[in-house]
Amino acid sequence: MRKPMIPAPARQSQYGVAPQFVTKRVAELPEMTSVMLSDLFRDTPSLIYPSDQGVAVVRDATRKALERVDMSMIKPEQSVNICASHHGFTMAGGHPYAEMLKTVRDVITERTGCKNIRLRAGVGLRFRETEEYIKAFGLDTHFGPHMAKGLAPIDEGIPIQTEIGTLYGLKAIYDADWIVHAHNSDVREVHFHRQVDRAVKPFGMSYARIETRSTYHQNLGPRGANFIARCIFTSDFVQSKFAFASFLDMSPAGVVGVDADNDLFALNDRMTVKGCQYYGKIMTLFGEIDECIAVLDFPCPVPYVFAAGVIYANFVGANTDLFDLDGTALPAYTWYTEAFYGKDGPLIDQIAPLNPAIRMCVHNYAWGGYPSAFFAEHIPTIVVGHEQAAVMSCDSQNVEYMRHALIAEDTDVAMRFAYRAARTDKVLIFDGAVGGVNVSRSLAELLVARAPAVSFKVDEVLLPKWLRQRGIDPVATLGMAAV
Amino acid sequence: MKLVAFLARIDRNICNGCRTCSRVCTTLAISMIDKKAHVDPDRCVACGNCEQRCESRAIRLEKLERPRILSVSIYDLPREQVDALCIRAGFHPSQIVCYCTATRAEEVAAAIIKGAHSPEEITLRTGLRSGCSVECIQPALRLLEAYGITPTPPKGGWQWYGRTPTLKDIPEKVKTKYRNHGFCFDEDLRLLESVISSERR
Repeated sequence: MRKPMIPAPARQSQYGVAPQFVTKRVAELPEMTSVMLSDLFRDTPSLIYPSDQGVAVVRDATRKALERVDMSMIKPEQSVNICASHHGFTMAGGHPYAEMLKTVRDVITERTGCKNIRLRAGVGLRFRETEEYIKAFGLDTHFGPHMAKGLAPIDEGIPIQTEIGTLYGLKAIYDADWIVHAHNSDVREVHFHRQVDRAVKPFGMSYARIETRSTYHQNLGPRGANFIARCIFTSDFVQSKFAFASFLDMSPAGVVGVDADNDLFALNDRMTVKGCQYYGKIMTLFGEIDECIAVLDFPCPVPYVFAAGVIYANFVGANTDLFDLDGTALPAYTWYTEAFYGKDGPLIDQIAPLNPAIRMCVHNYAWGGYPSAFFAEHIPTIVVGHEQAAVMSCDSQNVEYMRHALIAEDTDVAMRFAYRAARTDKVLIFDGAVGGVNVSRSLAELLVARAPAVSFKVDEVLLPKWLRQRGIDPVATLGMAAV
Repeated sequence: MKLVAFLARIDRNICNGCRTCSRVCTTLAISMIDKKAHVDPDRCVACGNCEQRCESRAIRLEKLERPRILSVSIYDLPREQVDALCIRAGFHPSQIVCYCTATRAEEVAAAIIKGAHSPEEITLRTGLRSGCSVECIQPALRLLEAYGITPTPPKGGWQWYGRTPTLKDIPEKVKTKYRNHGFCFDEDLRLLESVISSERR
């Protein structure tokens, strides 16, 4: 058995406990081991990061990808907003995404002579989060004084006329002559976007005002929500400003490369296939877990801690096929599903229970800043440390979280209790370890044993179905003869 | 229902009078007095928007000695009236419309029937929009509209701009155009209708 991998370090942030309160990581416990994704799935793509060369490879990959991009529309006297999102900074320590942003800026200046290039970094529901990243990764220094700015969905907005009516974007995203969409291909919230137009999502989310985001999560439906993003992106207004996109190309194991294109939908098609293929396998494998203790141990909100590219919110729904648009109308967890829980339980029969394999959740380290009480209400949860419990209780989005969760003095106490109460020794740790997943030995054995069959099933049955549901011909795309 | 346990406090020595806090305050609790921001403690619901957007970091949230609960009873209104308003707005009465506070549509409907005729008044009475303040503006506007009220956005503010389309508003030609993209418009519409018509609570 391998040693556990080093988890992502605790991060200083106003949304979580200070790093000194994160005294022990669950991966440090003697019963833990790790499994590499490449050992589970032979088709795991090779990575450019992490590597011995550090982020220099990301810089080189970005430059190479941008060689294919037309920037002739940008004139020296004009302005450009490089639009970014918080999530990129949570992957592989955040340095690769920051490096891609810096390189995009440098290449635009070199190729066009334009110097008025700003960074506009949107957020989820933690309005100062990208301000923290801008400082932490030196983006304020690289872009220059007052050129790098964190945005929030309550900032001043502008109406955008779309083919379904008026939606609203953030004024500061569009206050330049040109915009560059700088994002990543990590599947992440497949329960929300369902891997339909994933590349376009920030136009309906981190670049959007509250009205648009509320439309996404309240006015559309569990499969059509991300249509909002397409509506905004394809509007005449946004098209008149869109220059190109640059994406950090991700797999569940780490950074695969950088992809860039003037045609966002062409890029989207490429990442739709790879997202279904690579993330589909690990998500399906996690769905095979029969029982476990889920450990949250990463600097981001409860639903977004991740293991091998799978966020906790998706593991909570791993008993359903999140990529299946026909068979899974409502994932076991998504906001529409949460909305449809009445006072006495689900309002309709189509709602699957939250993943029954999760016997208990140990919240060793995770932030507030995202409504998470639903998780603690439905999954037995132990929070480590009174300081961390206080973070949740003081968070306006999580006032009810600690009403449902227990508090343990430290990590050892929490895990001992969890083992006894959950009656399983299988542990899955969502700690952002890069390249694989930290787990208990018993769970490692299960994953290794089940992976070949899962890989075969995804390749031969599920992937062709998922692609067809998204209007992609699997035969033409994958060269598959038998589908 | 929302437990309000904090209050925004402004350090007048640091406040630069930029007005951003008043523009993002969900309940219009912040006004400018002598070019400095001032919080009305009776209207502050501790959403934290002001603290999060203050450029000079002049605002912090202080714990209240006596937390207060924002809640509207549905039980002193005719059940049919509350239900009918929710359904007109496209919600099941027991449907959660605010993920931070777990506020249900029926409570917002009851607040509107009892006189909350703007998103700000709904927030003051129910706590809706007092968490993230992002995801629940459309339910408030849809329920108001279903009651015959078209509120006006706060003048000069960024609190909210307007109601946006729902699944029902998507034109047929648009649905047809994207039929093979996987958005499942009609299937989702049937799903939402099955929720609204559910007799469960």
